[in-house]
Amino acid sequence: MSTVELPVNVLAEGLDTVRRAPPGVLVVFGASGDLTHRKLLPALERLSRRRLLPAAFAVVGVARTEMSDDDFRDLMADAVADAGPGWAEIIKNSVYIAGEYAHPDTFSTLRDRLAEIEASLGTGANRTYYLATIPEVFGDVARALGRVGLNAPGRGGAARLVIEKPFGHDRATARDLDAALHEVFEEDQIYRIDHYLGKETVQNVLALRFANAIFEPLWSRNYIDHVQVTVAETVGVEKRGNFYETAGALRDIVQNHVMQVLSLTLMEPPGSIDAQGIRDEKVKALRSVVVPNATEVPNIAVRAQYDSGWVEGNAVPGYRQEDGVSPQSQTETYVALKLAVDNWRWAGVPIYVRTGKRLPKRVTEVALQFKDVPHLAFPREASRGLNPNALVLRIQPDEGVTLRFGAKVPGQAFMVRDVLMDFSYGAAFLEEPPDAYERLLLDAMVGDPTLFIRSDEVDTAWGIVQPLLDTWGGGGAPLSGYASGSWGPRQADTLIGRDGHKWRTP
Amino acid sequence: MSSEDQASPPGGPRPVRGPEPGGHVPGGGPGSPQAVRTWEKPRASLSEVVEALPELRRQAAGQESATRTAVMTLVMVTSTEDDYEGCAASVRSLGAHHPCRVLLLRPEPDSTPAIDATASLWRADPPAGDGHPVFFEEVRLRVGGQGASHLASIAGPFVLADLPVVMWFPGHAPDPADPLLRLATAVVVDTRNVGPSPSDIAHSYRALLELANNQPVVDLSWVRLQPWRELLAGLFEPEHNRRFLAGVGKAGVRGKPGPRHMLGGWLMAQLDLRARELSLEDSKHVDITLVATLDGEQGRFQVSRDDGTRAVWAEAVLSGGVSHRQALPLPDDSLASALASAVSDLRADRVWERALAAAAALAS
Repeated sequence: MSTVELPVNVLAEGLDTVRRAPPGVLVVFGASGDLTHRKLLPALERLSRRRLLPAAFAVVGVARTEMSDDDFRDLMADAVADAGPGWAEIIKNSVYIAGEYAHPDTFSTLRDRLAEIEASLGTGANRTYYLATIPEVFGDVARALGRVGLNAPGRGGAARLVIEKPFGHDRATARDLDAALHEVFEEDQIYRIDHYLGKETVQNVLALRFANAIFEPLWSRNYIDHVQVTVAETVGVEKRGNFYETAGALRDIVQNHVMQVLSLTLMEPPGSIDAQGIRDEKVKALRSVVVPNATEVPNIAVRAQYDSGWVEGNAVPGYRQEDGVSPQSQTETYVALKLAVDNWRWAGVPIYVRTGKRLPKRVTEVALQFKDVPHLAFPREASRGLNPNALVLRIQPDEGVTLRFGAKVPGQAFMVRDVLMDFSYGAAFLEEPPDAYERLLLDAMVGDPTLFIRSDEVDTAWGIVQPLLDTWGGGGAPLSGYASGSWGPRQADTLIGRDGHKWRTP
Repeated sequence: MSSEDQASPPGGPRPVRGPEPGGHVPGGGPGSPQAVRTWEKPRASLSEVVEALPELRRQAAGQESATRTAVMTLVMVTSTEDDYEGCAASVRSLGAHHPCRVLLLRPEPDSTPAIDATASLWRADPPAGDGHPVFFEEVRLRVGGQGASHLASIAGPFVLADLPVVMWFPGHAPDPADPLLRLATAVVVDTRNVGPSPSDIAHSYRALLELANNQPVVDLSWVRLQPWRELLAGLFEPEHNRRFLAGVGKAGVRGKPGPRHMLGGWLMAQLDLRARELSLEDSKHVDITLVATLDGEQGRFQVSRDDGTRAVWAEAVLSGGVSHRQALPLPDDSLASALASAVSDLRADRVWERALAAAAALAS
């Protein structure tokens, strides 16, 4: 082959190829599992349908389950109903390797089959390893890839490792995991997925804040009284009782999803909307969150567990009656927190966070409650229906922005009351946004880490919740109960009520 | 609330009508827009039409939240009844994807001097049935007499402030000197609409080049050809294949006159091919083949659509043994879909302009 410099693809000029995956191979560990079947393969097919995958592309499935290439191809076909014609071509290119994740033969076979595919399809040396396995084997797989040299990017290519949360069980195990991964992969090769960041509306927080001049000047302690973050689910633990018993709401939601939403809300404007700019500012924001000490925990945190009750018209059991849950379980399904942030922008502004299962409504939102006007010129009687302004970022399910402000009630009297100015993304754009997995899979293959979580973000987020884990794990805080279908325990109302505030009803 | 309960806008127009079926819209599917309220008046003044628009929203607000959502004003100008009705349906479907105020102008210079007006409020529901509906306005004006030659003065009052204005002249390219174009942020054209002879093509494309010198032009045919262009470009993404771009010695494009000339022009401009290295043939479907040689190795790169299938195929076969195939579903090629894609990016497209110039030269 000639050694001249690779020419520019002049035929791609003007076509939006930046967001298309380059030729390559996606290696899926845990290929016979539920996540692969339910999320990854359908997301890949949609990418193919949207013309975002290249012709030179293949999937290599790796799992313990005994299966032939053809069985795996059948599994790929089964995973997608009404697939487009491009999916059949990808299936044809794809292969399967059955083997233990700890066994060297699995990985030498993988190396050989990748070489075959790269020679026959011209996929280059672009390899994305997606670990759709249990977290306990993340380190084993990474080390085994390193042993056969598959951790190193080939000439002109890239080797990327994609893992999903949970990233550790606590700060120490998260650090152990990082150390294991960093033995063989550089940090810029590791893509940690929190699918919340793949949601279009979470990304819209950035657009709202940094593409509009009118909000940012108000976005500080000068005008904001307090912030409320709500992540509410109507569902219980479903069939995840066994898993949830080892996790709880703090690990399952607060350490990752809540911290991601919070960091996007609190962060300073980045110099540029790119991976380093955004992630640096997110980490700085999280580092500004005051880490509570053990003695403060009872005053700033409430944990609770749902009892039986009614949700959306259905009678539901209590947490301890769920399958896979101990009748004496001490696992929390609800958390309310009051956090403080020590920086110029947010000093003195309390951040209230609540998340729970079996709440009345599925909703994720960030509400910025503004301060009262310095002096209300209207008589008390005339402004009885007036509350401080609020800007609410609705992340799901009815994505949009609501601004609450005062307006005159029509009539002779000068009465003022609250009105809501409501913007719904769905009313402005009927286009279907990409699914979170679709977006994140493409980003990983393209090599854009903006929406993935960096090692220092994970560590800082664990640092914030670790004192709570330590206190609660040591039996240092009571576990309250709340009726399914309610907005949580009364202790949570007391927590926010001590500051003269109350929880919003989303 | 019934329409009869409503006060009519000034001028005594026909009563506002309530909901009526919007009819099937190509590519519209279950989310096809429906007319919520309609106001019409023969021999209307422009101020009556302008005042009717907020009135329609006020009346609809009793039943649903008919707030205006708009990202642009779309002005369509056509002089034939068929174009008027057919394109109106496509434009309406566009409202669901790119909510806009739609202004349909039908100039009839030989008719009685008058403006016959219809203003409607339309509702598009999200395809999945959840979420919020989008409401948009449509104004139809049949302009008789001398006013037909002064459409800029008629369109002006209906243009939404601070938003792009897209002009579309179905069936023909506008005169670049038309004052109406001064309102336009971008003009929609269709390079597929050309006569069969090379001189017709050369003449049409030169006129479009002149238009493109003044403002951004978006081409519906270029949008429809995008899957072919993407697939062909994609065949050269693998590093090994990329090197063959420097060795293309033969190119063939088959298709109808407009598309084959535009794609031929694109290949000539991007690959710096000479006219004798390019062959054009008439065909029902588009097909592109490139043959390249590099260091004694030959590569054949083809993108084609089989007759009868709804897929576009791309294939690279190299004498060294590497080969791959890719297939994509043929995208919805309805007018509505092409229009929706075309107006999603209103910037000037330099690649298209180079392809157009080369196509004009090729046809000369």
